[in-house]
Amino acid sequence: MRKALLAALVIGSILLALYPMVATGYSIRFMLQLFMWVALAQSWNLISGLTGYVSFGHVAFFGTGAYTAAILVTTHAWHWAPASLTGGIAGVVLALIIGYPCLRLKGPYFAIAMLGLNEVMRVLVSYFEGLTGGGLGISLPILYASVQIYYAMALAAIAVTVTAYLIISSRFGLRLMTIREDEIAAEAMGVDTARYKLYAFLLSAFIPGVVGGLYARDQGYIEPLSVFPLLTTVTMIVMALFGGKGTVWGPVLGAVLLFSFQELVWARFLYLHQILFGAIIVFVVLIMPRGILGVIQQRYHLSRSL
Amino acid sequence: MSIFITPAMVGQVVISGLLAGALYSMVALGLALIFGVMRVINIAHGTILMLGAYTTFWWFHLLGINPYLSLLASMPLMFLLGLLLQRTLVTRVVDAPELSSLLLTFGISIALVNLAQLTFTSDLRSVEFLTGAFLVGPIALSKSRLISFGFAVTITLLAFWFLQKTKLGKAIRATSQNSEVAMICGINVPRIRLYAFGIASALAGAGGSLVAVIFAIQPEMGQVYTFKSFLVIVLGGAGNYPGALLGGMLLGLVEQLSSLFLTTQLSEAVAYVLLVLVLLLRPTGLLGGRAR
Repeated sequence: MRKALLAALVIGSILLALYPMVATGYSIRFMLQLFMWVALAQSWNLISGLTGYVSFGHVAFFGTGAYTAAILVTTHAWHWAPASLTGGIAGVVLALIIGYPCLRLKGPYFAIAMLGLNEVMRVLVSYFEGLTGGGLGISLPILYASVQIYYAMALAAIAVTVTAYLIISSRFGLRLMTIREDEIAAEAMGVDTARYKLYAFLLSAFIPGVVGGLYARDQGYIEPLSVFPLLTTVTMIVMALFGGKGTVWGPVLGAVLLFSFQELVWARFLYLHQILFGAIIVFVVLIMPRGILGVIQQRYHLSRSL
Repeated sequence: MSIFITPAMVGQVVISGLLAGALYSMVALGLALIFGVMRVINIAHGTILMLGAYTTFWWFHLLGINPYLSLLASMPLMFLLGLLLQRTLVTRVVDAPELSSLLLTFGISIALVNLAQLTFTSDLRSVEFLTGAFLVGPIALSKSRLISFGFAVTITLLAFWFLQKTKLGKAIRATSQNSEVAMICGINVPRIRLYAFGIASALAGAGGSLVAVIFAIQPEMGQVYTFKSFLVIVLGGAGNYPGALLGGMLLGLVEQLSSLFLTTQLSEAVAYVLLVLVLLLRPTGLLGGRAR
């Protein structure tokens, strides 16, 4: 089973690596966005799926990364790759500022602080016009780099999925999952819960920042509404929940299924599509809390790190 | 941005702050009720407020009757919606881990907001009623805000009277102190939860009606109120109902005072900084609360 999965992964990666040589512009962009959603859903999984602390504002890191990278590229003439990595670091710094006060406490403080963060970042970005261009946004210099960004996005998706695998199959992951199941018991067993929650949160903020930077480069233009939409957070959450939160492959599965569905059918019906997302969240929480992969794992007795 | 700050300006912002604060207190009391009775933070609280606001808009737009009378429609309607949500969905996750109730109410909120986008469109709507202001010396009092303040204070006082004096109100307070002991004393806890959710939603609906007369409304307006109501609860101390009153007034004052020194655009960021500071320095709230 394990060998078959490994072989499938190797073959899959080779095919995806060769894909840009044969694919058209549209299909490259489709895959590029799919990788982006895998990376975002998986990042959300790192904090919320593993520790049970719900982040309602993960798009804030995405937007912060996008602005950081866009500013570095336009006013300091950086290459997009180091600029995006710096965007990731900006995401981590923001996570530290919010996570330190909110994750020391139990209960819904963290969730609500994250709910507000997105709005606040949008207000701040609009306010500091000198740096960010305010409501007018930032236009990046024209560059045709779809194929390179395709690889960069793929790398981000792989990096965060490998991180999820390493965490879930390590003692660190066990500590996080103990926090999720019973935080008081975790503390009684000597787990420094505040510290591990913060570590998980910082890890979960890095890749959205990087991906935000890549998105800014790929789109060539960003403005406050385009990089801080609530819908992006909703989509991450739905994908991770639907596929199976707290698992390695659940968010990947959720992203592939829902993104394909969204591109093929639903993108034309914006509001209906979001009503459906809300309904999926309610449905998964009530009927199928482990998500698709969780149900499969339980039925066939598969290992958690699968 | 102003350079000279006169006493009249300070008086003006203090009064505006109190006027806004009473509204925050009333809406936050609803969120505090649900949290007290069930330990659930209802992310859809602001969404219910938005639906209350649209009730008032359509009341005024279609019927042309005084918009304040629409409280008679928005409060019962939102009460019923609250009962429905609690009965069909929320009741199933009350005893589950926190993640479930947060995600569930978030899902409800997303679905309802987009349903509103679909049916009401995302256009800004406003109720043009009682524009203008009373002038008292150097201080201008917006008529709509003053009347909304009056309604908010009256409804909040009624809610407190209800909690203190009536049998049902006492049962609600008992349940929020300790639901297991309340159950042993013969209180029907699931029923109390149902009523608490209904009353909380009616308070949110009333908030929406009063907001609709003051500001332009649109379907995504609710999230800010969920956030601010939570901030009010944190300021007052979670599970502390009088604390919610103090917290609301304080939030109104801080927001208005900050507009003296900063632009109003940044007032949301000020509320946010306030939340982070309180969590950092005094996480039990200003009056002290329970259940952290």
